[in-house]
Amino acid sequence: MIAIDEPTISDVHAVVEEVWTSFLGSDEPIQIGASTETTSLVDRLMLDDDTWTAAITVTGAWEAMILISVPVPAAGLITVGMLGLDPAEAETCGLEDLTDALGELVNIVGGGVKSLMPGPSALSLPLVAQGAITSTSNLEEVCAVDLTWHGHPIRVSIDVPRTTHGIGG
Amino acid sequence: MHALIIDDSRTMRSILKRIVHEIGFETTEAANGQEALDVLEAGLVPDLCLIDWNMPLMDGYTFVTRVRADERWRSMTLMMVTTESEHGQIVRALAAGAHEYVIKPFTADAIVEKLELLGLAVREVPA
Repeated sequence: MIAIDEPTISDVHAVVEEVWTSFLGSDEPIQIGASTETTSLVDRLMLDDDTWTAAITVTGAWEAMILISVPVPAAGLITVGMLGLDPAEAETCGLEDLTDALGELVNIVGGGVKSLMPGPSALSLPLVAQGAITSTSNLEEVCAVDLTWHGHPIRVSIDVPRTTHGIGG
Repeated sequence: MHALIIDDSRTMRSILKRIVHEIGFETTEAANGQEALDVLEAGLVPDLCLIDWNMPLMDGYTFVTRVRADERWRSMTLMMVTTESEHGQIVRALAAGAHEYVIKPFTADAIVEKLELLGLAVREVPA
């Protein structure tokens, strides 16, 4: 079996930064690392309903699930930003807008990460849920990037099947 | 000028709509290839189609092949706008008849630049 080097934190951050700059502007850059203040919130991200999670699956030569988890206020800011609305118009956004924006975000981030890996492979349609999206037990997290944007913690993580990486994996 | 924007994400349709409105296009939207074909069958012949690849019901590649097989729609410029970045897929889409291929994420400038090259946009030069 050929071991595949999984994406690094730096790879994933570069992809996320490019997506954020393209669609959410460069006024408020997304920064790597969660602040001390937000660390506990990052931990909570995986557990509570104050979080939205978007996921997309890659299948083919490289297989993975890419997840983005954001707290509710950040999900609102992402939606407003991607739709090009004034923050004051945030109230006009509905649940459909929010899930669509997060779905497109993970689609583009997933495409960027996929482009770093061996192909050919294909992206699924995105999945968006309130709270956590739990992957099956044969997946394990190989990369997680904690970021901060507008003071909110954002986590991008990559889960892969246990058999596709590592020595003797 | 009229653009048909084909993407299953309303957010992405909204982003693309803003970009092409800025350079004077009117727009119609479709959420997948089948819906876009229905729009064309109903009589609209846009100057430009901006086409996502991965969509439910009918993907963008199939849409391109269907459009290119029909004489009525020969005049339309087809531009893929997609996360699919593998060389083989780009070649496949261009061979099927797409004129241009833009990989997400993109900037507004990148889209306008491609449209300029295709003769569908003229950027105003600052005085």
